Amino acid sequence: MEADWRRIDIDAFDPESGRLTAADLVPPYETTVTLQELQPRMNQLRSLATSGDSLGAVQLLTTDPPYSADAPTKEQYFKSVLEALTQVRQADIGNVIKNLSDSQRDVLVKYLYKGMSVPQGQKQGGVLLAWLERITQVSGVTPIVHYISDRRTV
Amino acid sequence: MSFSNSKDKSVVAVYKLVKAPIYSHCFSQDKSILAVTCETDCLVYRVSNNTPPVLFATLKDHDKTITAVDISIHGRIVTCSQDRNAYVWEPLSDGTYKPTLVLLRINRAATSVTWAPNGYKFAVGSSARIIAVCYYEHENNWWVSKHIKKPIKSTINCLSWHANGVLLAAGGTDGFMRVFSGFIKGLDSKESVAGSPWGQKFPFGCLIREWYQGSYIHDVEWRSQMERIAYVAHDGTLNVVDYQSPVQSVNAPEGLPYRSLVWINDHEIVCGGYSCHPVLFSEASEGWKFAKNLDKSDNNKSSALTASGNADELSGNNDESSTFGISALRKFKELDLKGKVSTDVQESAHENAIVELRPFAESNGQITQVSSCGLDGKIVIYTI
Amino acid sequence: MSQSLRPYLTAVRYSLEAALTLSNFSSQEVERHNRPEVEVPNTSAELLLQPMHISRNENEQVLIEPSVNSVRMSLMVKQADEIEQILVHKFTRFLEQRAEAFYILRRVPIPGYSISFLITNKHTESMKTGKLVDFIIEFMEDVDKEISEIKLFLNARARFVAEAYLDEFVY
Repeated sequence: MEADWRRIDIDAFDPESGRLTAADLVPPYETTVTLQELQPRMNQLRSLATSGDSLGAVQLLTTDPPYSADAPTKEQYFKSVLEALTQVRQADIGNVIKNLSDSQRDVLVKYLYKGMSVPQGQKQGGVLLAWLERITQVSGVTPIVHYISDRRTV
Repeated sequence: MSFSNSKDKSVVAVYKLVKAPIYSHCFSQDKSILAVTCETDCLVYRVSNNTPPVLFATLKDHDKTITAVDISIHGRIVTCSQDRNAYVWEPLSDGTYKPTLVLLRINRAATSVTWAPNGYKFAVGSSARIIAVCYYEHENNWWVSKHIKKPIKSTINCLSWHANGVLLAAGGTDGFMRVFSGFIKGLDSKESVAGSPWGQKFPFGCLIREWYQGSYIHDVEWRSQMERIAYVAHDGTLNVVDYQSPVQSVNAPEGLPYRSLVWINDHEIVCGGYSCHPVLFSEASEGWKFAKNLDKSDNNKSSALTASGNADELSGNNDESSTFGISALRKFKELDLKGKVSTDVQESAHENAIVELRPFAESNGQITQVSSCGLDGKIVIYTI
Repeated sequence: MSQSLRPYLTAVRYSLEAALTLSNFSSQEVERHNRPEVEVPNTSAELLLQPMHISRNENEQVLIEPSVNSVRMSLMVKQADEIEQILVHKFTRFLEQRAEAFYILRRVPIPGYSISFLITNKHTESMKTGKLVDFIIEFMEDVDKEISEIKLFLNARARFVAEAYLDEFVY
């Protein structure tokens, strides 16, 4: 016997309810990116960041992000992205942002919000906020409006 | 009736009609009659040059908020509301209106309504994931509907008829802009769609084309002569498509999304939305881009949307530069010193978002004036 | 580190401006109802937009959850020690019990946060979004100041009372 029959979500049982789940919304990708395929990118990212080529590192991580990967893969990839972003010197941030295209800035904003939602990123909150402030100084509220309505997540 | 203080002279008239948001408004074909939605009533005004509109009829049959109103070329008013009903109001000779029943057969709110160009049928979009195309049945004196259901997955926000009266563009919250056929046997003829680049056969309800945008589509409009469609979406973009080229997209310069658009001529579009003033976009050889702002207030607002990103510092030697925004202490300090508070002055005619734009005056095939309605209860007329 | 306060508040301001683009949206599931979609537990996924986390550090965060007709903003206030935890709890409860006067305050905070706001399309239709955002940013600045002030007064009072009492026993 159902104990809490008053709180049954009756609309979930209705075949015509037409509710969409989050999975329905993401456009279908042809292939899923695996962790092995991302490894060379992650290595290159690490080497660019440690060698001081901040512009190269940020351009690499904001072009073609692995939207089609599954969640654990995205987590792993994100760790190297966070490392690269925090290694950029404060003075270089403005220069890097000026040299990014609009779509690259959109991807960067996605990574910044994702960073602030996980504990490792929150520890670096000051750095991520500095990035976000410079981006809004250049592009205004446009990348944020793009972020909230884009269903593809990094 | 007041005029804004912005530098350009684009505002022709401002009419503050009601205290509630106006979700939809429409002028009759000769622009002498204005219908405005106000909560559960539709107010009908007589408009003449340079005098404020005069209320002469209130259409009171709906129980819940009226979401859309439209006037046909014959002067019939159709209103639809969140109570799942729509009514067609016939103008009588003494100036009153008589409602006629519309059998929509939807079980959720109706969100938008638009008459076909010939004035004999109209389409209603709803939260029931259905578009209802309604036409008149003489035997019973009512309007009956035919439904378009597949493959709509969410609420329909906006509809637009092509000039041929058959192709119907629809956008909604599922992120798709679709073109359906609204062909009704007996009302439409095959000749009106002969030679259309969109296809050969147009059975009722068939999906002709769809484009995936991703975010909510707020408004859609056909440019029939050019066989193109423009639509504005919630991610702040204006998009233009036709039957062969890929989508051309341009971002709003201020970032905030638009709620409505109007084609001015074959190469220019005016959009209005959450930035409270209309914006003109034009097409050049390399694509669509921003042309100019209409009625935009000066850039000394203390809103952080400007690229400088800092609060307006009227008190120059402010030692509280570490706090951001107008702090309560500074407000009182300034009130004490100068007798007024230095908050930003909203200078554009609309104080809240623009919800709908309509063409108002035309000359030589080009729209010269547009009217807008907003959440502040105002109707504003702009010159382009 | 007060130099991250300004970027923190700027980020919250821009994120709120982007999220407060609300429309009057009638419910798709229940006829003749109009409810804030962010608060409904099993709403259809296309009505909810991407949530935004803005964190200054692990103890001060803001979560903004936008949707088609409503935005929920939850704020975690800095609580350095147990006294501040108690003070923040009492302060926010005081405000929450008077939530009707605030219009946009939610009576119960989201788990994990100190206080929550719920802004619906009705609020953005009757109030200017610029002013709403200004109010929330001011609130965030003032809460920290208030809590520090209350803690100072608390300690001062405790010291005064303890001295006055223990003076009895000194000879």
